Amino acid sequence: MAKRKATIDVNEPSQRTIKKILIANRGEIAVRVIRACRDLGIDTVAVYSEADRKSLHVRYADEAIFIGQPAPRESYLVAEKIIAAAKKTGADAIHPGYGFLSERSFFSQMCADEGIIFIGPGPHAIDTMGDKQTARETVKKAGVPVVPGTEPGMRDEDILRIAPTFGFPVLVKATAGGGGKGMRAVYEEKDLAEAIAGARREAESAFGNGDVYVEKLLVGARHIEFQVLADMHGNTIHLGERECSIQRRHQKLVEEAPSVVLDQDPELRRRMGEMAVKAAQSVGYVNAGTIECLVDKDKNFYFLEMNTRLQVEHPVTELVTGLDLVKEQIRIARGRRMGPTQSVLEPKGWAIECRVNAEDPYSNFMPSTGKITTLNVPSGPGVRVDSGVYAGYEISPYYDSMISKLICWGEDRGEAILRMRRALEEYTIMGVKHNIPFHQNLMRSFSFLAGKFDTKWVEEHFSMDTYEEAPSDEELETAAIAATLFAHRQKQLASQVVSKGARDTSNWKWVGRWERMHR
Amino acid sequence: MKYVTIINDKTFEINIEPDGSLTVNGEKREVDFRGLGPSMYSILAQNISHELTIEQRDGEIEVLMRGRLYTSRVLDERALLMAQRSGGLAAESGELNIKSPMPGLIVAVRVESGQEIKAGDTIIILESMKMQNELKAPRDGVVGTVHVQPGQTVEQNKVLVTIG
Repeated sequence: MAKRKATIDVNEPSQRTIKKILIANRGEIAVRVIRACRDLGIDTVAVYSEADRKSLHVRYADEAIFIGQPAPRESYLVAEKIIAAAKKTGADAIHPGYGFLSERSFFSQMCADEGIIFIGPGPHAIDTMGDKQTARETVKKAGVPVVPGTEPGMRDEDILRIAPTFGFPVLVKATAGGGGKGMRAVYEEKDLAEAIAGARREAESAFGNGDVYVEKLLVGARHIEFQVLADMHGNTIHLGERECSIQRRHQKLVEEAPSVVLDQDPELRRRMGEMAVKAAQSVGYVNAGTIECLVDKDKNFYFLEMNTRLQVEHPVTELVTGLDLVKEQIRIARGRRMGPTQSVLEPKGWAIECRVNAEDPYSNFMPSTGKITTLNVPSGPGVRVDSGVYAGYEISPYYDSMISKLICWGEDRGEAILRMRRALEEYTIMGVKHNIPFHQNLMRSFSFLAGKFDTKWVEEHFSMDTYEEAPSDEELETAAIAATLFAHRQKQLASQVVSKGARDTSNWKWVGRWERMHR
Repeated sequence: MKYVTIINDKTFEINIEPDGSLTVNGEKREVDFRGLGPSMYSILAQNISHELTIEQRDGEIEVLMRGRLYTSRVLDERALLMAQRSGGLAAESGELNIKSPMPGLIVAVRVESGQEIKAGDTIIILESMKMQNELKAPRDGVVGTVHVQPGQTVEQNKVLVTIG
């Protein structure tokens, strides 16, 4: 396949100048990008919805442009408003962050049409990787393994012939599927025909489209992804892996780099890394991207999808490689050679990230809104916090529930976990419910400590009760004493205010008189 | 001043003398308690040092200590007397309103009026912050009135269902 990598004329100055970057995002990632810009001496423009006037990204940026109502479709998702803001402020480039417009090819195209540098890949790469089926076919041609499956549109007899060659169990899925409808797990060949017929009926009634396909069901699989980086000079490398199997309802909660599995098997890391680079090259990828894979318990790995943007969990890679990925993104967008020249096969130390969400782990991870009344952020050796909030910040229901990311680094996994425990204990967030207790329990759980988990582990085996440590009697008593003294002081304060008028004159005068009397 | 403090279902009788000395269940304790700024406190209890964040919320006192959140109720003599008269410290019966914990969209109502429910049963599914959330019954009971229907958007603290 012909290389379709974007090339630039490095003598063309307009391609290389970035003096001002507009960040088309909000929250912690907008702050993260602004910080990189500041390091580089680049001016920044924030965009904000009505709900975000007082948000950190607006306060940190050099300029800020209002873009509409709180709902994302009225503000952060309106490409025209973002482009208009860039033109108004004279920004040369736009960083999309993650989510919102970051993986919309039309937005990347719009930027190009308007002569604004999009800090990310071109529209072709976003398009190809955005459609799961096209992505699968494209990387397959480049020799990248994908989860074995039948192609859409096949007749029953063909499916029945091909599917058993994948080995059981398999998953029957509706092409138009979603929300588990039309999905069936099949463990034995004799049940396959019946399952296909059932799935077709269900898909037909639910989506008006009875097309189904069969995919190998990976049992006990882990989600391991590779960070890739590619510049316009033909260099494509990977920066090692991230383990992201600790998730709930497909939402990642904890990520680490490296992965326990690949740490014990450098050869597997080398092979998977090669595959990731190949997958990125197959679409002529430029800038930072992530190849997501499933690794089954027999260490077979399969391409899942590519995320054509910066990931939430990019800091763990930064901590074990010493790189600043946002700076690399900007450097690449400027048309320069990226900093690192070789793929990372030996990460330095170990990094773990906990996503701190406004969700109550004691009541089924219910999101919590309201004002953060007190906030004390952990610090000290090996601790990094990427946050978008402050004391007094109001968590609104319009955006996702992530408050911040706590990332800890250690010489090895053990040290990273111990630091994480310490940092979680230091982290004080009051006013809203949050999932720090979940992370504390997770960091105590034997399976996590042993590195033995898969993508279903949190949902199927983790319970808040198992690792909840009861407070000691002394701690409970101390807390009771503190609460009582707190109440006692408030009561005294209240009675002081009430009896203020009892003395007919100001305290200063009263003290003066008293002193004169006792002279 | 005499107080009864309930924390994690455990009860402490705490007495604070006018001179500031303190007893817990009749035993003397050496306590040095200092305010550090808004919501922040330092306590030395028998020389054991703890940093605490303490805030009052909905009639309860929240204490965050060593990453653990304690929710406590502090009753003075008058409050204790009133609580005893009304029969117990926690209401286990009577009407209970299930309120919306945040603004959102009602996706489904899983109960109907007159239905018997058990603690933990899903009552309503509320969509907010890009997620569907199950609101569950905090205790057994019979559904009284259902105040909302699927498709309706609700404000925070809106009464959704009353349990008898």
